[in-house]
Amino acid sequence: MDNLSVFLQILFWGLYAGCIYILLATGLNLIFGVMKVVNFAHGEFLMIGAYITATVFFLTGFNPYVILLLSMVALVGIGAVVERLCFRPILGTGKLNEIFLSIGLIYIFQNGAAMIWGDAWQSVKSPYDGITIPIGSLSVPLDYIIIMVVTAVILSGLYLFLKKTTLGMQMRATSQNRKGAMLVGINVERIDIISFGLGCALAAAAGTLWVVSGQVFNPYMGSIPAVKAFAIIILGGLGSIPGAIIGGLLMGLAENGAAFLLGGIWKDAVSFIILIVVLIFRPTGLFGGKEG
Amino acid sequence: MQLTREKLIPYGTAAALIIAVAIPFLTDNMFIVNLAVLMLISIIFASAWNLLAYSGQGSLGHAAFFGIGAYGSTLIAAKLGITPFITIFLGAAVAAFIGILIGLTCVRLKEWFLAMVTFGFAIIVQTLTVSVLAPMTGGWDGIPSPRLVSPSIPGYQLIEYYAILLITIAAIAAIWYIMKSRIGLAFLAIRENETEARAAGIDPVRYRLLAFALSAFIAGVAGALQIHHIGYITPELYGVDNSFWPITYVILGGLGTLAGPVIGTVVLTILWEGLKATGITFARYVVIGVILILTIIFLPRGLVSLPEQVQEWIKRRKQKEPVTEAAAE
Repeated sequence: MDNLSVFLQILFWGLYAGCIYILLATGLNLIFGVMKVVNFAHGEFLMIGAYITATVFFLTGFNPYVILLLSMVALVGIGAVVERLCFRPILGTGKLNEIFLSIGLIYIFQNGAAMIWGDAWQSVKSPYDGITIPIGSLSVPLDYIIIMVVTAVILSGLYLFLKKTTLGMQMRATSQNRKGAMLVGINVERIDIISFGLGCALAAAAGTLWVVSGQVFNPYMGSIPAVKAFAIIILGGLGSIPGAIIGGLLMGLAENGAAFLLGGIWKDAVSFIILIVVLIFRPTGLFGGKEG
Repeated sequence: MQLTREKLIPYGTAAALIIAVAIPFLTDNMFIVNLAVLMLISIIFASAWNLLAYSGQGSLGHAAFFGIGAYGSTLIAAKLGITPFITIFLGAAVAAFIGILIGLTCVRLKEWFLAMVTFGFAIIVQTLTVSVLAPMTGGWDGIPSPRLVSPSIPGYQLIEYYAILLITIAAIAAIWYIMKSRIGLAFLAIRENETEARAAGIDPVRYRLLAFALSAFIAGVAGALQIHHIGYITPELYGVDNSFWPITYVILGGLGTLAGPVIGTVVLTILWEGLKATGITFARYVVIGVILILTIIFLPRGLVSLPEQVQEWIKRRKQKEPVTEAAAE
């Protein structure tokens, strides 16, 4: 392969990896935007979503892209329960407290999953495994293209939901001014629970896409993607969904570029090096405003 | 009888010291002495994390300083042939220096940005250890580390236990002194209200860096002690688990208090080993997670506040009772 196709290959991997980060970061952003809660255990919802999809797939053999919907619905429920039982009682007691609580959630979800599914690495073969589509000099797996389309559909759906529906507008209102939203009669606790559930559903979608792309997964897979998603929303600006999309794509590209140039071991470290370097020069993030 | 915290402190301290000194006399079982050593090291580590949290900075990557202290001490001891009793402090000094560097990037950050940066930092250090620094550190395989007390000396386990006990007491005493001093007051002032602290002439940047350096130093001592006790070092030391344990200990015991890390570590270690005896594996972590969440929601000041909390609950109960009786009639 010549240099150009290597570059294009990395670009494509980066885009695909970026899709998963975008979904994760957008979910976090939604939760942070509305509740101002730092849910450090967000990656655990990705992991649970991945396992639900994989389990249903192993049992029924349905197309995993269809199971994605089931996984998302299940995670709305799990997210709602976690919000009601864990985050609501400590709302407003400080960001660090939320992080500490998330550590408890991480312990519970990771090891609960290990009790149910075992802690071995697993993988799933997508029904489109092995099918590639030639684009120029590249042959791109069909799954990668479906993943990008699915991500685009989910994000467009979320955009329309937030802009056009009453519930979506109530969520944006709560996000902008919680007290004001209460004054105009919005039940902010209901909005909290819906936002948290939706954020978790986006994590489930990310987990499903992780699984169908053929990547291995185990109960402890979630922590690092979650912190990377945080790095993305810190870089992209808190509460900004376009920022999360740009940040997610950049992170995917940087990671795959680094893995290619420096070796796979640097894949995780490079995203944090970027985070630290950016924060040295801009302590509120690349596009961060006063809210950070 | 009023069980105030002030009355409990001297009794509690004395009891803890007597038990700590007596453990090797109470049992011949070296497994328990070994466990007690690891518990003491965890107490130092948790206290170090607690000191940083006392200044309002929450680190999610303290395993980095734990590991740097351990690697620093091991490499200095192995290369120069100095006794580990000296190198643990040299390794910790390396950790403190790195702590100041990472602190410099963090001082201007929001509390939870800082949490992300420290978490990422531990991963960066681990990556460096197994890639660029691998010729020195042995990569993922690790390297042997000189023992604190050579196993050829008779009764070396007891010597080691008392040496580590002394260092633990010294560390806690040092943290007590820092917390009581003007430095500790400055930490508190910055944590509670940075603007007012500034108005009072406290330079937040300087004190935050100082907190980072002190906390990293003490964490480095803990890491070095653990590795010289075990006799082998691997990059697993930088794992996420190792960053989360001190947080769990401190939150359960009581954040920002001197006794919190000690009580939290002792209670959780005993619980952890007790659960191990029942043969469960993953469920142990689930239990710890549930306890952590329940503590944060229902006992936000940790176990140290339990006596006061219980009195409060009893008081509230007594006030309620006549009301319910009246309602029943």
